[in-house]
Amino acid sequence: MTFGDGFLRFPDLFPGRRGGEPWGDRTLVLDVAGGPYRVTGLSAAQEEAARHKFGGLCREGEMAAEVAVQVFRAAPTDFLDRDVRGWEYTLDRDYSPGSVLLAGLRLMARIDWTPALAGGLWTSWSGGEEWASVFENYLRVLVAYRLLEEGGAMLHSAGVTDGTSAWLLLGPSGAGKTTSSRLCLARGGTVLSDDLNAVRLENGARPRLTWLPFAGDLGGQAGAQAGYPLAPLAAVLRLKQGTENRLRPLSPATALAGLVAAAPFVNHDPWRRELLLSALERLARSVPAYELVFSLDGGLWDILKTIPS
Amino acid sequence: MTAIALTTVLRRRSDVRYRLIEGEAVVLRQSAAEVLVLNGVGAAVLDLADGERPVAEWIEALAREYDADAETLARDVLAFAGELREAGLLEEIVAEDPP
Repeated sequence: MTFGDGFLRFPDLFPGRRGGEPWGDRTLVLDVAGGPYRVTGLSAAQEEAARHKFGGLCREGEMAAEVAVQVFRAAPTDFLDRDVRGWEYTLDRDYSPGSVLLAGLRLMARIDWTPALAGGLWTSWSGGEEWASVFENYLRVLVAYRLLEEGGAMLHSAGVTDGTSAWLLLGPSGAGKTTSSRLCLARGGTVLSDDLNAVRLENGARPRLTWLPFAGDLGGQAGAQAGYPLAPLAAVLRLKQGTENRLRPLSPATALAGLVAAAPFVNHDPWRRELLLSALERLARSVPAYELVFSLDGGLWDILKTIPS
Repeated sequence: MTAIALTTVLRRRSDVRYRLIEGEAVVLRQSAAEVLVLNGVGAAVLDLADGERPVAEWIEALAREYDADAETLARDVLAFAGELREAGLLEEIVAEDPP
Protein backbone atom coordinates (compact mmCIF):
# COMPACT_ATOMS: atom_id res chain seq x y z
CA MET A 1 0.00 0.00 0.00
CA THR A 2 1.50 3.33 -1.00
CA PHE A 3 1.01 6.70 0.64
CA GLY A 4 -2.48 8.14 0.27
CA ASP A 5 -4.11 5.37 -1.72
CA GLY A 6 -6.49 4.56 1.11
CA PHE A 7 -7.94 8.07 1.06
CA LEU A 8 -7.10 9.78 -2.23
CA ARG A 9 -8.42 9.04 -5.69
CA PHE A 10 -5.24 10.31 -7.31
CA PRO A 11 -2.35 9.90 -4.83
CA ASP A 12 0.16 10.71 -7.55
CA LEU A 13 -1.34 14.20 -7.80
CA PHE A 14 -0.66 15.04 -4.15
CA PRO A 15 0.36 18.73 -4.00
CA GLY A 16 4.08 19.08 -4.40
CA ARG A 17 4.14 22.45 -2.68
CA ARG A 18 1.93 24.73 -0.60
CA GLY A 19 -0.27 26.34 -3.22
CA GLY A 20 -3.72 26.30 -4.75
CA GLU A 21 -7.01 28.13 -4.56
CA PRO A 22 -7.82 29.46 -1.07
CA TRP A 23 -11.33 28.90 0.27
CA GLY A 24 -11.61 32.59 1.12
CA ASP A 25 -9.84 35.62 2.54
CA ARG A 26 -10.48 35.04 6.24
CA THR A 27 -7.62 34.67 8.72
CA LEU A 28 -7.58 33.12 12.17
CA VAL A 29 -4.80 33.32 14.75
CA LEU A 30 -4.75 30.45 17.23
CA ASP A 31 -2.81 30.83 20.47
CA VAL A 32 -1.94 27.19 21.05
CA ALA A 33 1.33 25.89 22.54
CA GLY A 34 4.19 26.32 20.09
CA GLY A 35 2.33 29.10 18.30
CA PRO A 36 0.60 31.35 17.68
CA TYR A 37 -0.55 29.71 14.44
CA ARG A 38 -1.84 32.00 11.67
CA VAL A 39 -4.38 30.21 9.48
CA THR A 40 -5.15 31.93 6.18
CA GLY A 41 -7.33 31.19 3.17
CA LEU A 42 -10.44 30.40 5.21
CA SER A 43 -14.04 30.82 4.10
CA ALA A 44 -16.42 32.61 6.47
CA ALA A 45 -18.01 29.28 7.39
CA GLN A 46 -14.63 27.68 8.08
CA GLU A 47 -13.59 30.59 10.27
CA GLU A 48 -16.85 30.41 12.20
CA ALA A 49 -16.54 26.66 12.77
CA ALA A 50 -12.93 26.96 13.89
CA ARG A 51 -13.83 29.81 16.27
CA HIS A 52 -16.62 27.69 17.69
CA LYS A 53 -14.22 24.77 18.25
CA PHE A 54 -11.26 26.70 19.65
CA GLY A 55 -13.13 29.54 21.34
CA GLY A 56 -10.91 31.48 23.71
CA LEU A 57 -7.74 30.49 21.88
CA CYS A 58 -8.61 32.68 18.89
CA ARG A 59 -6.76 35.98 18.90
CA GLU A 60 -7.74 39.14 17.10
CA GLY A 61 -5.71 41.61 15.10
CA GLU A 62 -2.20 41.41 13.83
CA MET A 63 -0.71 39.25 16.58
CA ALA A 64 2.68 37.95 15.44
CA ALA A 65 2.49 34.28 14.53
CA GLU A 66 5.22 31.67 14.66
CA VAL A 67 3.66 29.18 12.27
CA ALA A 68 1.77 29.92 9.04
CA VAL A 69 -0.92 27.56 7.78
CA GLN A 70 -2.61 28.01 4.41
CA VAL A 71 -5.95 26.37 3.63
CA PHE A 72 -6.84 25.45 0.06
CA ARG A 73 -9.86 24.18 -1.80
CA ALA A 74 -9.98 20.55 -2.97
CA ALA A 75 -12.70 18.85 -4.97
CA PRO A 76 -14.81 16.14 -3.29
CA THR A 77 -13.86 13.89 -6.18
CA ASP A 78 -10.21 14.09 -5.09
CA PHE A 79 -11.08 11.84 -2.14
CA LEU A 80 -12.29 8.28 -1.80
CA ASP A 81 -15.48 7.57 0.14
CA ARG A 82 -14.65 5.35 3.08
CA ASP A 83 -16.94 3.36 5.34
CA VAL A 84 -15.42 4.16 8.74
CA ARG A 85 -17.72 2.02 10.91
CA GLY A 86 -15.70 -0.03 13.38
CA TRP A 87 -12.51 1.49 12.11
CA GLU A 88 -9.81 3.33 14.03
CA TYR A 89 -9.00 6.39 11.96
CA THR A 90 -5.34 7.19 11.47
CA LEU A 91 -3.87 9.72 9.10
CA ASP A 92 -1.66 8.27 6.42
CA ARG A 93 1.83 9.83 6.63
CA ASP A 94 4.83 10.06 4.36
CA TYR A 95 8.08 11.34 5.86
CA SER A 96 11.05 12.97 4.18
CA PRO A 97 13.87 15.22 5.44
CA GLY A 98 12.11 18.43 4.48
CA SER A 99 8.41 17.57 4.69
CA VAL A 100 5.71 15.38 6.14
CA LEU A 101 2.73 14.60 3.92
CA LEU A 102 -0.64 13.65 5.39
CA ALA A 103 -3.71 12.08 3.84
CA GLY A 104 -7.02 11.36 5.53
CA LEU A 105 -10.76 11.67 5.23
CA ARG A 106 -11.32 14.65 2.92
CA LEU A 107 -7.87 15.84 3.91
CA MET A 108 -4.55 16.35 2.17
CA ALA A 109 -1.92 18.28 4.06
CA ARG A 110 1.75 18.91 4.38
CA ILE A 111 4.21 20.29 6.89
CA ASP A 112 7.36 21.83 5.45
CA TRP A 113 10.56 22.94 7.09
CA THR A 114 11.85 25.20 4.35
CA PRO A 115 12.49 27.99 5.08
CA ALA A 116 10.60 27.71 8.40
CA LEU A 117 8.00 25.31 9.70
CA ALA A 118 4.77 25.98 7.80
CA GLY A 119 1.66 24.09 6.87
CA GLY A 120 -0.71 23.59 3.96
CA LEU A 121 -4.14 21.95 4.19
CA TRP A 122 -6.42 20.94 1.30
CA THR A 123 -9.99 19.85 1.98
CA SER A 124 -13.34 19.73 0.27
CA TRP A 125 -15.28 20.70 3.42
CA SER A 126 -16.40 24.31 3.18
CA GLY A 127 -17.33 24.61 6.87
CA GLY A 128 -19.29 22.96 9.66
CA GLU A 129 -18.26 20.26 12.10
CA GLU A 130 -16.71 18.13 9.37
CA TRP A 131 -14.31 20.93 8.46
CA ALA A 132 -13.54 21.61 12.12
CA SER A 133 -12.67 17.94 12.62
CA VAL A 134 -10.40 17.92 9.57
CA PHE A 135 -8.69 21.04 10.86
CA GLU A 136 -8.23 19.68 14.38
CA ASN A 137 -6.79 16.41 13.05
CA TYR A 138 -4.25 18.39 11.09
CA LEU A 139 -3.53 20.81 13.92
CA ARG A 140 -2.68 17.93 16.27
CA VAL A 141 0.10 16.78 13.97
CA LEU A 142 1.33 20.30 13.28
CA VAL A 143 1.51 21.14 17.00
CA ALA A 144 3.38 17.88 17.71
CA TYR A 145 6.05 18.86 15.20
CA ARG A 146 6.19 22.45 16.33
CA LEU A 147 6.71 21.45 19.97
CA LEU A 148 9.45 19.06 18.89
CA GLU A 149 11.11 21.85 16.97
CA GLU A 150 11.06 23.91 20.17
CA GLY A 151 12.72 21.06 22.07
CA GLY A 152 9.54 19.82 23.75
CA ALA A 153 7.01 17.13 22.97
CA MET A 154 3.33 16.34 22.71
CA LEU A 155 2.52 13.21 24.66
CA HIS A 156 -0.40 10.80 24.64
CA SER A 157 -1.14 11.10 28.35
CA ALA A 158 -3.33 12.40 31.12
CA GLY A 159 -2.12 15.67 32.62
CA VAL A 160 -3.26 16.66 36.11
CA THR A 161 -2.30 19.54 38.37
CA ASP A 162 -3.06 21.01 41.77
CA GLY A 163 -2.08 24.45 40.51
CA THR A 164 1.40 24.22 41.97
CA SER A 165 2.72 20.95 40.59
CA ALA A 166 1.73 18.85 37.60
CA TRP A 167 1.91 15.12 36.91
CA LEU A 168 2.00 13.32 33.61
CA LEU A 169 0.22 9.95 33.57
CA LEU A 170 1.25 7.63 30.75
CA GLY A 171 -0.11 4.38 29.48
CA PRO A 172 -1.52 2.77 26.38
CA SER A 173 -5.24 2.88 25.64
CA GLY A 174 -7.07 1.13 28.47
CA ALA A 175 -4.34 1.72 31.04
CA GLY A 176 -6.55 4.12 32.98
CA LYS A 177 -5.74 7.65 31.86
CA THR A 178 -9.36 8.76 31.92
CA THR A 179 -10.15 6.75 35.06
CA SER A 180 -7.19 8.17 36.98
CA SER A 181 -8.07 11.66 35.72
CA ARG A 182 -11.59 11.29 37.08
CA LEU A 183 -10.21 10.18 40.46
CA CYS A 184 -7.94 13.24 40.59
CA LEU A 185 -10.80 15.50 39.56
CA ALA A 186 -12.97 14.11 42.36
CA ARG A 187 -10.28 15.02 44.89
CA GLY A 188 -9.97 18.60 43.73
CA GLY A 189 -7.34 18.29 41.03
CA THR A 190 -7.52 19.91 37.63
CA VAL A 191 -7.39 17.74 34.54
CA LEU A 192 -5.64 19.43 31.64
CA SER A 193 -6.41 16.67 29.19
CA ASP A 194 -6.88 12.93 29.42
CA ASP A 195 -5.59 12.48 25.88
CA LEU A 196 -2.80 14.83 24.73
CA ASN A 197 -0.56 17.15 26.73
CA ALA A 198 2.56 19.12 25.94
CA VAL A 199 5.84 19.21 27.82
CA ARG A 200 8.07 22.21 27.29
CA LEU A 201 11.72 22.16 28.20
CA GLU A 202 13.57 25.37 28.75
CA ASN A 203 17.24 25.54 29.53
CA GLY A 204 17.90 25.24 33.22
CA ALA A 205 14.25 25.25 34.20
CA ARG A 206 12.13 22.37 35.40
CA PRO A 207 10.04 20.93 32.52
CA ARG A 208 6.54 22.35 32.46
CA LEU A 209 3.36 20.58 31.60
CA THR A 210 1.44 22.66 29.11
CA TRP A 211 -2.19 22.48 28.19
CA LEU A 212 -3.37 21.60 24.69
CA PRO A 213 -6.92 21.92 23.34
CA PHE A 214 -7.02 18.22 22.46
CA ALA A 215 -8.91 16.27 25.08
CA GLY A 216 -10.73 12.97 25.20
CA ASP A 217 -13.49 12.75 27.82
CA LEU A 218 -11.93 15.19 30.30
CA GLY A 219 -10.09 18.48 30.10
CA GLY A 220 -10.09 20.64 27.05
CA GLN A 221 -10.92 23.96 28.67
CA ALA A 222 -8.81 23.96 31.81
CA GLY A 223 -5.79 25.47 30.14
CA ALA A 224 -7.77 28.07 28.27
CA GLN A 225 -8.96 29.33 31.63
CA ALA A 226 -5.63 29.03 33.39
CA GLY A 227 -3.32 30.09 30.58
CA TYR A 228 -0.10 28.32 29.77
CA PRO A 229 2.58 27.26 30.55
CA LEU A 230 1.19 25.67 33.64
CA ALA A 231 2.79 24.11 36.67
CA PRO A 232 6.26 22.56 36.76
CA LEU A 233 6.21 18.84 36.12
CA ALA A 234 6.77 16.91 39.36
CA ALA A 235 6.87 13.40 37.90
CA VAL A 236 6.14 11.13 35.00
CA LEU A 237 4.04 8.13 35.98
CA ARG A 238 3.34 4.90 34.14
CA LEU A 239 -0.16 3.79 35.05
CA LYS A 240 -1.13 0.32 36.18
CA GLN A 241 -4.53 -0.51 37.61
CA GLY A 242 -4.52 -2.61 40.77
CA THR A 243 -6.12 -3.11 44.16
CA GLU A 244 -3.92 -0.70 46.10
CA ASN A 245 -2.10 2.59 45.58
CA ARG A 246 1.67 2.62 45.45
CA LEU A 247 4.67 4.02 43.63
CA ARG A 248 7.64 2.12 42.25
CA PRO A 249 10.59 4.11 40.88
CA LEU A 250 11.45 3.57 37.22
CA SER A 251 14.90 3.95 35.74
CA PRO A 252 15.43 6.92 33.42
CA ALA A 253 15.86 4.46 30.52
CA THR A 254 12.51 2.82 31.20
CA ALA A 255 10.95 6.27 31.50
CA LEU A 256 12.48 7.34 28.20
CA ALA A 257 11.15 4.25 26.46
CA GLY A 258 7.66 5.03 27.74
CA LEU A 259 7.91 8.65 26.70
CA VAL A 260 9.01 7.77 23.17
CA ALA A 261 6.14 5.32 22.82
CA ALA A 262 3.74 8.06 23.98
CA ALA A 263 4.87 10.71 21.46
CA PRO A 264 2.28 10.43 18.68
CA PHE A 265 3.05 11.16 15.02
CA VAL A 266 6.67 12.14 15.51
CA ASN A 267 7.80 8.81 16.99
CA HIS A 268 7.21 7.15 13.62
CA ASP A 269 9.18 9.78 11.72
CA PRO A 270 12.63 8.39 10.86
CA TRP A 271 13.99 11.84 9.98
CA ARG A 272 13.21 13.47 13.30
CA ARG A 273 13.53 10.61 15.77
CA GLU A 274 17.00 11.69 16.86
CA LEU A 275 15.53 15.07 17.80
CA LEU A 276 12.72 13.34 19.69
CA LEU A 277 15.16 11.10 21.57
CA SER A 278 17.22 14.12 22.60
CA ALA A 279 14.21 16.06 23.89
CA LEU A 280 12.74 13.14 25.78
CA GLU A 281 16.11 12.12 27.20
CA ARG A 282 16.37 15.58 28.75
CA LEU A 283 12.91 15.09 30.21
CA ALA A 284 13.69 11.58 31.52
CA ARG A 285 16.88 12.83 33.16
CA SER A 286 15.30 15.85 34.81
CA VAL A 287 12.02 14.52 36.20
CA PRO A 288 11.57 11.41 38.38
CA ALA A 289 9.56 8.56 36.91
CA TYR A 290 7.47 5.96 38.66
CA GLU A 291 5.10 3.15 38.02
CA LEU A 292 1.85 4.20 39.69
CA VAL A 293 -0.33 1.29 40.71
CA PHE A 294 -3.75 2.70 41.55
CA SER A 295 -7.09 1.44 42.78
CA LEU A 296 -10.48 3.06 42.35
CA ASP A 297 -10.57 4.42 45.92
CA GLY A 298 -9.02 7.75 44.87
CA GLY A 299 -5.90 7.34 46.98
CA LEU A 300 -3.69 8.01 43.99
CA TRP A 301 -4.18 11.75 44.41
CA ASP A 302 -2.66 11.60 47.91
CA ILE A 303 0.25 9.60 46.55
CA LEU A 304 0.90 12.10 43.76
CA LYS A 305 1.05 14.90 46.31
CA THR A 306 3.76 13.08 48.27
CA ILE A 307 6.17 13.31 45.33
CA PRO A 308 8.56 16.21 45.97
CA SER A 309 8.28 19.04 43.44
CA MET B 1 21.70 -17.80 9.76
CA THR B 2 25.16 -18.82 10.97
CA ALA B 3 25.98 -19.12 14.67
CA ILE B 4 27.89 -16.27 16.20
CA ALA B 5 31.51 -17.15 16.99
CA LEU B 6 34.28 -15.35 18.83
CA THR B 7 35.65 -14.17 15.48
CA THR B 8 32.31 -12.79 14.26
CA VAL B 9 32.21 -9.03 13.62
CA LEU B 10 28.86 -7.35 14.17
CA ARG B 11 27.64 -3.82 13.84
CA ARG B 12 24.51 -1.93 14.74
CA ARG B 13 22.07 -1.72 11.85
CA SER B 14 21.95 1.71 10.28
CA ASP B 15 18.35 2.34 11.37
CA VAL B 16 19.11 1.73 15.05
CA ARG B 17 19.21 4.75 17.34
CA TYR B 18 20.00 4.44 21.01
CA ARG B 19 20.75 6.32 24.19
CA LEU B 20 22.74 5.10 27.15
CA ILE B 21 21.27 6.31 30.43
CA GLU B 22 22.62 5.29 33.79
CA GLY B 23 23.84 1.93 32.56
CA GLU B 24 20.82 1.00 30.50
CA ALA B 25 20.10 1.52 26.81
CA VAL B 26 16.94 2.74 25.13
CA VAL B 27 16.90 1.47 21.59
CA LEU B 28 14.76 2.53 18.66
CA ARG B 29 14.56 0.88 15.31
CA GLN B 30 13.51 3.54 12.85
CA SER B 31 11.98 1.10 10.43
CA ALA B 32 9.81 -0.66 12.98
CA ALA B 33 8.89 2.10 15.45
CA GLU B 34 9.87 -0.16 18.35
CA VAL B 35 11.30 0.95 21.67
CA LEU B 36 13.39 -1.47 23.71
CA VAL B 37 15.21 -1.12 27.03
CA LEU B 38 18.39 -3.16 27.43
CA ASN B 39 20.09 -3.87 30.75
CA GLY B 40 23.69 -2.98 31.49
CA VAL B 41 25.28 -5.90 29.65
CA GLY B 42 22.93 -5.45 26.70
CA ALA B 43 23.73 -1.76 26.56
CA ALA B 44 27.45 -2.51 26.65
CA VAL B 45 27.14 -5.09 23.87
CA LEU B 46 25.19 -2.67 21.71
CA ASP B 47 27.78 0.01 22.31
CA LEU B 48 30.65 -2.37 21.46
CA ALA B 49 29.09 -3.47 18.16
CA ASP B 50 31.05 -1.01 16.05
CA GLY B 51 31.62 -3.24 13.04
CA GLU B 52 35.35 -3.42 13.71
CA ARG B 53 36.00 -5.46 16.82
CA PRO B 54 35.22 -9.21 16.85
CA VAL B 55 33.06 -10.62 19.64
CA ALA B 56 36.16 -11.92 21.43
CA GLU B 57 37.27 -8.34 22.03
CA TRP B 58 33.85 -7.46 23.44
CA ILE B 59 34.24 -10.26 25.95
CA GLU B 60 37.69 -9.01 26.96
CA ALA B 61 36.33 -5.51 27.43
CA LEU B 62 33.36 -6.72 29.46
CA ALA B 63 35.57 -8.99 31.58
CA ARG B 64 37.52 -5.92 32.64
CA GLU B 65 34.30 -4.18 33.59
CA TYR B 66 32.31 -7.00 35.20
CA ASP B 67 33.57 -9.39 37.80
CA ALA B 68 32.34 -12.51 36.01
CA ASP B 69 33.67 -15.93 35.18
CA ALA B 70 35.22 -15.73 31.67
CA GLU B 71 33.50 -18.84 30.37
CA THR B 72 30.09 -17.75 31.61
CA LEU B 73 30.61 -14.26 30.26
CA ALA B 74 31.58 -15.61 26.82
CA ARG B 75 28.53 -17.84 26.70
CA ASP B 76 26.21 -14.99 27.76
CA VAL B 77 27.66 -12.48 25.31
CA LEU B 78 27.45 -14.91 22.38
CA ALA B 79 23.85 -15.71 23.24
CA PHE B 80 22.95 -12.07 23.72
CA ALA B 81 24.62 -11.00 20.49
CA GLY B 82 22.55 -13.66 18.75
CA GLU B 83 19.36 -12.29 20.29
CA LEU B 84 20.20 -8.75 19.22
CA ARG B 85 20.90 -9.97 15.71
CA GLU B 86 17.64 -11.94 15.73
CA ALA B 87 15.82 -8.78 16.85
CA GLY B 88 17.27 -6.91 13.90
CA LEU B 89 19.46 -4.59 15.94
CA LEU B 90 22.80 -6.03 14.86
CA GLU B 91 24.04 -7.34 11.55
CA GLU B 92 27.07 -9.43 10.71
CA ILE B 93 29.89 -8.12 8.59
CA VAL B 94 30.90 -10.87 6.25
CA ALA B 95 34.48 -10.71 4.96
CA GLU B 96 34.70 -10.84 1.20
CA ASP B 97 35.93 -14.13 -0.19
CA PRO B 98 39.55 -14.01 -1.34
CA PRO B 99 39.93 -13.86 -5.13
